Amino acid sequence: MYEKLKEILAGKLMVPPDLITMEATPEDIELDSLAVVELSLVLDKELGIELSDDVLAEASTVGDIVRLMEERGATL
Amino acid sequence: MPRADAAVTGLGLVTPAGTGVERNWETVCAPKPAAALDPALTASPVRISCRVPDFDPAAQLGARRAHHLDRFVQLGLVAAREALADAGLDPAAWDGTRVGVVLGCGDGGTTTLEREHRVLLEEGARWVSPLLIPMHPLSMLAGQVAMEFGALGPNLVVATACASGTSAVGAAKDLLALDRCDIVLTGAGESTLTPLIISGFAQMKALSRRHHDPAGASRPFDADRDGFVAGEGAGVLVLERPDHARARGARVRARVVGYGASADAHHMTAPHPEGRGIEAALRAALEDAGASPADVAHVNAHGTSTPLNDLAEAKALRRVLPGSPLVTSTKGVTGHLLGAAGAAEAVYTVLAVERGLVPPTANLERLDRGVELDIPTVPARRRIGLALTESLGFGGQNAVLAVAGA
Repeated sequence: MYEKLKEILAGKLMVPPDLITMEATPEDIELDSLAVVELSLVLDKELGIELSDDVLAEASTVGDIVRLMEERGATL
Repeated sequence: MPRADAAVTGLGLVTPAGTGVERNWETVCAPKPAAALDPALTASPVRISCRVPDFDPAAQLGARRAHHLDRFVQLGLVAAREALADAGLDPAAWDGTRVGVVLGCGDGGTTTLEREHRVLLEEGARWVSPLLIPMHPLSMLAGQVAMEFGALGPNLVVATACASGTSAVGAAKDLLALDRCDIVLTGAGESTLTPLIISGFAQMKALSRRHHDPAGASRPFDADRDGFVAGEGAGVLVLERPDHARARGARVRARVVGYGASADAHHMTAPHPEGRGIEAALRAALEDAGASPADVAHVNAHGTSTPLNDLAEAKALRRVLPGSPLVTSTKGVTGHLLGAAGAAEAVYTVLAVERGLVPPTANLERLDRGVELDIPTVPARRRIGLALTESLGFGGQNAVLAVAGA
């Protein structure tokens, strides 16, 4: 799932790939509130994973987002 | 309003004639027309445009930054960077509260708007990008330039359609004269070569349909002209209060010494047939400059290559400037950059004054009978004490700048 997220962050939100690690914070990858909404939309569109921007905004690292995706993805 | 000149200390250009001021000057003086068949417009009634060649926003601005910017802002930012570097200004060292940004734009982020409108119609509202609103408004042009450089002073986007760039430089000059700023980054950015906008211009019969000869489609003042060629681009000038420029030992490339503006109050899109509106703006610019018509050695005309504009404009120029200055329309090379046209042409006018060289009008083969102007078709050497550059906008807005040597 981490690889899928990395692909989306780099390929769709154009985050420089070398900034993306499991430990990276939203600030590290310049994920502001607009980008969180964008990420929520792209996750749904590309992977069918529904995570609202409110839920995503609570993640404090990329790893947290991966865990949220795994939880939500598993229920599909 | 106190009479005051503005020093031009920096220039930047990203146009169909190339990225960078020097490359532009070579192309415009060659003259090498940029118009070509446009693969993105295959379904439009008109398929000719002037695009900025080899522009790679990710390489210029970084992929992440470029992703958040509509193309009109990308072009504007790159031109602004060049202008600031040319001015030798370091944004890390300046008092940002005294730095204004006044940029012109006609249509804003139509590329983004049209893309997201397609998403709305084809996929539904819930898939519309949250970046639509941060990317498409005209205000973003000046806002993003301020963010990039820490310019904390007055921040405006001037929208007077195809006169926007010229109006912006005039407004910037006024801000300096009122002592509201020491430095203003001014000019314009525009990119609206989208199927919807081009179809709109085509449907009102404003565009050239010379599909058999795209390079010859933009032919200002020529008897066979049949419309303009839409282009995109950006031009930025760094204007400073002369005392500020002097105090920091800046190289002054030219001075903006006059600004005149008027409205036709006549028709939505057609200029007054006798050019009464542009005549008033021409006279106002001369008065603002404290100059007489005989002082004018060169005019960078609006010269769009539409039948109506070029004739009305030629009549006004003939009445106001009977002394036969050398007139040019650089749109023969660049096409019509719409809201950014006046900005690019202000830069070309500064270069003409600085270098004593009038760029030619491309594709002028047979002067229209009603055009009684001296229009060189090869670069013409002339000492230029004072030059004018003028723009007319749909809506009837007219703007004229007077530019003098340093």
